[in-house]
Amino acid sequence: MIETSAPDPFAPNRGGWTGSYRLNPDAFDEMMAAPGSVRPAWQPLVNALDAFSAEEAARRFARADRYLADAGVFYRLYNKAGTVERQWPLSHLPLILDEGEWHALANGLVQRAELLEALCADIYGDNRLVAEGLLPLELIAGNAEFLRPMVGQKPAGGRFLHFLAFDLGRDVQGFWRILGDRTQAPSGAGFALENRVATARAFGDIGSASNLHRLAGFFRDFRDHLAAARRNKNEGIAIITPGPLNDTYFEHAYIARYLGLLLLEGEDLAVVDGRVQVRTVSGLKPLGVLWRRLDAAFMDPLELRSDSRIGTPGLAAAMRAGAATMVNALGSGILETRALHAFLPALAYRLIGEKLKIPNIATWWCGASKEAGWVRDRFDDLLIGPALSTRLPFEDEETQEGKRLAPAVRERWLQALELDGRRVVAQEPITLSTMPVDEDGQISPRPVVLRAFAARTARGWTVMPGGFARVGQTGEASAISLQRGGRVADVWVVGSRPVEQVSLINQEVCGGGRNPQGMLPARTADNLFWLGRYVERTEATVRILRAYNSRWAEGPDDRSGLLQSLRDDLLTLGTDARKALPQSLLDTLGDVERTGGRVRDRFSVDGWLALRDLTETAAQLSPRIQPGDDAVRAMTVLLRKLTGFSGLVHENMVRFIGWRFLEIGRRMERAKQMTRLLARFARPDAPDGALDLLLEIGDSVITHRRRYGMTFSTQTHVDLLALDPLNPRSVLFQLAELKTEIGLLPDRDGRGARAPLPIEIMRLHSSLAVMAPAAVTSAVLETLGADLAALSDLLSDSYFR
Amino acid sequence: MLYDINLTLGYDYGYPVSGAKHLLRVLPDTLNGIQRVQAASVRISPQPTEREDGRDFFNNRTVALSLREAHEELEITMQARVEVQRQTTTLDLSPLLSGLEAEIGSIRSLGFDTPHHFRHETARLRQVEAIAKYAHASASRTQTVRAVVQELGYRIHEDFAYDPDATLVDTSIAEAFALKRGVCQDFAHIMIAACHALGIPAGYVSGFIRTVPPEGEERLEGADAMHAWMRAWCGREAGWIEFDPTNAMLASDDHIVVAYGRDYGDVSPVVGVLQAGGRHRIRQSVDVRPLS
Repeated sequence: MIETSAPDPFAPNRGGWTGSYRLNPDAFDEMMAAPGSVRPAWQPLVNALDAFSAEEAARRFARADRYLADAGVFYRLYNKAGTVERQWPLSHLPLILDEGEWHALANGLVQRAELLEALCADIYGDNRLVAEGLLPLELIAGNAEFLRPMVGQKPAGGRFLHFLAFDLGRDVQGFWRILGDRTQAPSGAGFALENRVATARAFGDIGSASNLHRLAGFFRDFRDHLAAARRNKNEGIAIITPGPLNDTYFEHAYIARYLGLLLLEGEDLAVVDGRVQVRTVSGLKPLGVLWRRLDAAFMDPLELRSDSRIGTPGLAAAMRAGAATMVNALGSGILETRALHAFLPALAYRLIGEKLKIPNIATWWCGASKEAGWVRDRFDDLLIGPALSTRLPFEDEETQEGKRLAPAVRERWLQALELDGRRVVAQEPITLSTMPVDEDGQISPRPVVLRAFAARTARGWTVMPGGFARVGQTGEASAISLQRGGRVADVWVVGSRPVEQVSLINQEVCGGGRNPQGMLPARTADNLFWLGRYVERTEATVRILRAYNSRWAEGPDDRSGLLQSLRDDLLTLGTDARKALPQSLLDTLGDVERTGGRVRDRFSVDGWLALRDLTETAAQLSPRIQPGDDAVRAMTVLLRKLTGFSGLVHENMVRFIGWRFLEIGRRMERAKQMTRLLARFARPDAPDGALDLLLEIGDSVITHRRRYGMTFSTQTHVDLLALDPLNPRSVLFQLAELKTEIGLLPDRDGRGARAPLPIEIMRLHSSLAVMAPAAVTSAVLETLGADLAALSDLLSDSYFR
Repeated sequence: MLYDINLTLGYDYGYPVSGAKHLLRVLPDTLNGIQRVQAASVRISPQPTEREDGRDFFNNRTVALSLREAHEELEITMQARVEVQRQTTTLDLSPLLSGLEAEIGSIRSLGFDTPHHFRHETARLRQVEAIAKYAHASASRTQTVRAVVQELGYRIHEDFAYDPDATLVDTSIAEAFALKRGVCQDFAHIMIAACHALGIPAGYVSGFIRTVPPEGEERLEGADAMHAWMRAWCGREAGWIEFDPTNAMLASDDHIVVAYGRDYGDVSPVVGVLQAGGRHRIRQSVDVRPLS
């Protein structure tokens, strides 16, 4: 088996993988023109596949899957119980398009982008199309995507649209047709990138041999366009996400990281004096470009949906006045309306003076009696659905071929056609083309829909040389949707000549479109701070539980009262020590995962995986373990995972300001925990064994022995665990670190070191630093504990508001 | 009739609120054939950080406010002097119900008054089978649109009981319809939905009615707070006709218009977004005094 050499494009087709490929005679096949006749663009891949043994192919596919698992690529599946994260369903074989064919396709999409821009401008502008009778009023006035507050808007730079997606299907004759336009907040471009990286793990060698076009240039050019859309370099560029529970949040975080953009939610923004601002830890900072990934209606509770909790009050008014560039303009979702397809051919002549280069699938809006009658006559053979639907025909449960409708539903549609055809749209179904999908060691033809992307760049609209293919799980077109078990595939555009090598990195040197430094959103800082606290709180709880369980295993009779005292201490953390794996520990881990998930774009892939590993380990432990030795082992495992995450953060996270908040959270929580433990267990009347316990929880047994030899007193323990400036577990050490990190935070009010927060940490640090061990009484420690809680509030007030 | 109108809306949060933004629709406007505003102003306390007066899609006057600093109370006071002189005609110029669709279809404008905006479902105007049936029971295709609308209004007044305790501001029309009780907002919404079911464009009107009735007449319902009624589009000639189902009458010179919309959501007097949630108390007082 030769793995490293590129396959020979002239090798004979030995009929291995492809020999068993059974074409569907009723559909166009992407790979084969006829049985035994492979299309030229596919030849290198087919040759390679046929040369692979089953093991070789399996190994290559596994490499792609491992990449996706390691990168943490997932999507959310909605079900009755809520949502679950699922591994990315990659179909390993790419959809391959010849460069020449793709150029024609791209030309057609650029034309369509221009048409949609002109149409959007008319709908939110002077409505000439309605006045001329080219566009029925009903499609706009009754459309939920017609956002009245945005009528008359003047988008920044004069453009409504900047980034579009198109879903395409190929008909039996081999012609591409538009199935739907995605203008609201198209997703998939980031997934296209991930598909590409994963597929390259399987077939990178074949890709290079096929002169595969790269995707990086497309993203670089779009980022440059966004950067140029700002008024000045101080303005930020952000992706606006609905948040971690959205089904494509992973993609939002991925693109933000890939392009160096801010990842923001509605509450991070504020409209002040008509300008869009980000709430950062350094105060309000201007935002020049918003690439939104949520539906426009949710973006402003003041003028759009008043029940939205993920919007920014005043944003609609700011956008109306063109205060920032919005990708795409609020209200652009109306262009997705299915019934519009019936009018686009005529509108193309009117708006851009051209015939549509790529037709959409034939569409009839039944608001006119002629169309309604015609549709009634061919009802069984047409796709029937709601006129104002913005969903794709094959993803919409309400849209069905007439002949497949249940009798009652059919009756309702026929009645609607009779009484109020305005609500009905009919489309000619097409038999989608098929492409090969690997399943159980062989490949079969499955229907495919291509999602292509177009973006504005300095050179006008540009189409991504690639895309995102969705492939059906069965032969049925309706099985393409991911939510119904469909899979995804990379899209290759291959040429006859070697392609130019571009990557994002080249541009960084020239200053590209990076965000200004120091734009850490206050919410992100808040989450990082609490992530630090929760991780540390978990560690403290785990350490105490381990100490408790090991002592309980040795002697549950508790003559000294130490176990009771430990139980009491754990109860102050809401933890029931009698349970081997108390619920509160799982809750805190849930907090870790939740806060971590909200700042996902801040972590490396490894950091994120370590975090998930931690929470998954805990989830797997839960039902079986018993108190005592069993619990000790479980806690030791958790402790190791915690250390793994902390280590990654410490070693790999750049010491930007975000890291400082995480670190401050950890130090503050550690100081609080140790202060509390000392107050309880280092007092004169503490139960026997309390001092040993402190050393164990404080991970300082060996240090104590080395430092104090056989001397063993409350004083030595307080000295080591409260006052030692070099012990990374001591209270004073935490205060010193806090003092340093707080001193490096942004100066928000110009008072520098005289602001309340630095003054307070200075006071706490120096008052403890000058104390003798004997002076550190429980009362002093309790006061310090309260001061630390107040310090946390002060930090919140200073930076997270 | 000349009126001095005084509206006070008071919010008592009970805790400090900062970074609040509000959108007000409380200022009446001069409307041809209905009313002329001689003076109108809004005072806000505390002083807002930002204030911008404007108009919304339906051409209603709006005031956008920002209150950046912490405040525990907010008071909005609107004062206006408005002369109401409705050109109401007893002449019914509306087409037969059967001919209305053709008139609607001949319109080719998306302007704010276009009837097309006022014939579709909204969040507050969901299609309700029972309301459609109720509407069809009294309407005949051979009646004029105006007659259909008025008859519907009288029936609603007859069949429904005014009961401030029966419904809340977000009670659905299906619920209010089933209860057969409610307040002006419920009656207006139900009547609009009934009109829609008959193919008649109809929308929501917010406003005031005079507080103290002329001598010898009964006090109208809804005088102690902002009031709501509806309007229906009765063809090209007749245009919009306003009807008050709560008081079973066409809008008269006792009705002062503040805002038009599809439903309450389009005209609600204060849309407010506060950073903190929680309970707060609202005071509302309205005084509409005739000067002449």
